[in-house]
Amino acid sequence: MATARLHPTLRGLTWVSPWLLGFGLFMLLPITLSAWYSLTDYSLLDRPIYVGLENYRELLHDSVAHAALKNSAIFTLATVGVGTLLSLALALLLEQRLPGSEFVRAIVFLPTLVPVIAAALLWMWALNTETGSVNTILRTLHLPTPDWLGTPTGAMASIVLVSLWGIGTFVVTYAAAIRGVPVSLYEAACIDGAGPFRRLTTITLPIISPTIAFNLVMSIIWSLQAFAVPLVMTRGGPANATTTFALYVYQNAFVFGRMGYACALAWVQFLFTLVLVAGVLWASRRAVYHRGA
Amino acid sequence: MIGGTAPQSSASDAQGVAIDTDVSRRSALTLLAAGAAGWALWPYAPRSRRDIPKGRKVVTYWEKWTGPEGDAIQQVVDDFNASQSRLWVHRVPVNDQDSKALVAIGGGDPPDIAGLYSYSVPQYAETGAAIPLADLGLKPDPSAYAPGVWQMLTHQGRQWAGVNTCYTIALYYNRSHFREAGLDPDKPPRTIDEFNDAAQRLTIKGPAGEITRAGFVHTLPWWWPYMWPSLFGADLYDSATNRSLFDSPACVRAFEWIGSWPTRMGREALATYISAFGRSFNGAEDPFLTGRVSMVATGPWIANFARTYAPTLDYAAVAVPVSSEIFDAARPIGLLECDVLMIPRGSPNPEAAMEFLLYTQQPRVQEQLATAHCKSSPMTAVSPAFMSSHPNRAVAVHDQIAKSSRAVVLPRCRSWKQYAILTQRAFDNVWLGANAKAELTAVNSRVQSLLDREADLRQRRGA
Repeated sequence: MATARLHPTLRGLTWVSPWLLGFGLFMLLPITLSAWYSLTDYSLLDRPIYVGLENYRELLHDSVAHAALKNSAIFTLATVGVGTLLSLALALLLEQRLPGSEFVRAIVFLPTLVPVIAAALLWMWALNTETGSVNTILRTLHLPTPDWLGTPTGAMASIVLVSLWGIGTFVVTYAAAIRGVPVSLYEAACIDGAGPFRRLTTITLPIISPTIAFNLVMSIIWSLQAFAVPLVMTRGGPANATTTFALYVYQNAFVFGRMGYACALAWVQFLFTLVLVAGVLWASRRAVYHRGA
Repeated sequence: MIGGTAPQSSASDAQGVAIDTDVSRRSALTLLAAGAAGWALWPYAPRSRRDIPKGRKVVTYWEKWTGPEGDAIQQVVDDFNASQSRLWVHRVPVNDQDSKALVAIGGGDPPDIAGLYSYSVPQYAETGAAIPLADLGLKPDPSAYAPGVWQMLTHQGRQWAGVNTCYTIALYYNRSHFREAGLDPDKPPRTIDEFNDAAQRLTIKGPAGEITRAGFVHTLPWWWPYMWPSLFGADLYDSATNRSLFDSPACVRAFEWIGSWPTRMGREALATYISAFGRSFNGAEDPFLTGRVSMVATGPWIANFARTYAPTLDYAAVAVPVSSEIFDAARPIGLLECDVLMIPRGSPNPEAAMEFLLYTQQPRVQEQLATAHCKSSPMTAVSPAFMSSHPNRAVAVHDQIAKSSRAVVLPRCRSWKQYAILTQRAFDNVWLGANAKAELTAVNSRVQSLLDREADLRQRRGA
């Protein structure tokens, strides 16, 4: 057979060539082009003009870009921090095998099946100050009813809330990781007199730490890409309080027609993501437990 | 073999594992039936294109309008298609058409003709993304259009677009509320002072200080944050010097007036009141149509929604009040914007698209569209029947603003969209209590740097 005579490497490359072609055309080429366009003034409509590092210099003086960066940082801190704690807590609770835990598991996972645009629209109704269900409940409990989408703080809290609504995936992965902890370790710890908190901190968390690290990395990447929820719910307002970096990239590219500047912004976003993820991975070298290591 | 499972018909792989290659009769019939169904149901042409008569050249037309406005432009398209036998305009409703047209033109796959907003004209003109209409044989006729409209169709002395209705912003007010508040509905406010007083008197608060009805709120709707400076005689841009004028004293005065509104009405109460409406404008929950706000600065389309959702609403309209020193009843001030038709660079059938564009530029066609949209006509010549049978009782007000020498046309520069979004930010901050002068200075500085960069690049491109 002809293929049998091919060098194994060549044969392997032949088999993966459809993927390589796709990757080259739809990933590598656009990434390379975006690096070039970030050094140009390019509107999609006319030829790019080389401007050197002017786009990056402009970024240093662009107050909206600074606000967007700050908003993305706040959003990431809030969603990753609260999201990780909340999903871990829910997973631990669900693994206690309490009555109705399967039902609660389904309820927690359900929001991840709702398309993000639909979820954002739904929450816009729910967060309506006067007629929304959230404030109706708060009013019934005689609690303050905030103007969720009308104030900078309220709007940011709202988009964080909507993002946290979809933590079901993380809960499921944490729950799966918790189930993977050998029961014998808990039994041994119980014999040694370890209480629930001690068992959590010395057995559960160390053993599931690779999952925590993975989820942290993924949620950081996703949070820094936050786009659809602020676009639908607030369009970046009020007063740019929810203009995330990804939303600002989109605005520059497709609303203002400044593709060159948008590419520069995208590269800055990529570098921030890279640094953050590298930081988490570096920290995880010590903090994460590797079986057999 | 069909229907059998004889072992001798099985093949074997290298390891000697038997692989059954037989296909059962049932499977074969299922496959055949699926193939036949696929052949019968295959959409050989999009459903929307099946009615196109043979032999006609198809002109693809992207338009943003949907609903009743979409029906109105479809009627124009149908009339055009019926008026001749060579071309067939195929209207494609496109959401977010600015961005999509940008990508389609940049990608070399544009429609034949696109419906856009007039603020896109400078960008399309300077980048060569649209075809100047003179290149397709059009002799410019400025006298056919209202002066402000003509300004919006042209850039750097050339016509780039045809008009496709225009709108002006006027103050719509609830006459019943005026009577209730002891105001004369036939003498609506004309100056800012009169307006402040009327808004105050029309506002009703509940026992706990909550607003149950507002006289006026700038953010209902919030779509034109850059409109307010014109009420104080301010311009946003000086095209002769390419300077942004957003921090001029008149602009600052306008934004100080805006900033005073939440203080005057009670910041917390106003925030709660506004948030109840979310984005429920131009629908059954519209605050003006439901009587929750007495006056709104909005476009003529509100009359269309009033017909549907509040047919008994007793309302009228007047030019938005201005500061007393610039008030002139004969020359009202108001924002003028228009929708335009442009033929993009790379249009597959530019001549055919031009034929359709010319058809739409007839006063009769613009009147037909404007009537359906409840707008005034963008053309100079207006038939008496248009005014007398118009469904918007305030059409004369809009017509007067559109043809006024003080109609406000948005800055004709490429950076306008970015400028507009920055004005929104300034508006939001001032509304939330920030210092107007500081906000406007910051925005002005950013806008000026964008304008300078734009000018520099224009020079480098040799435009």
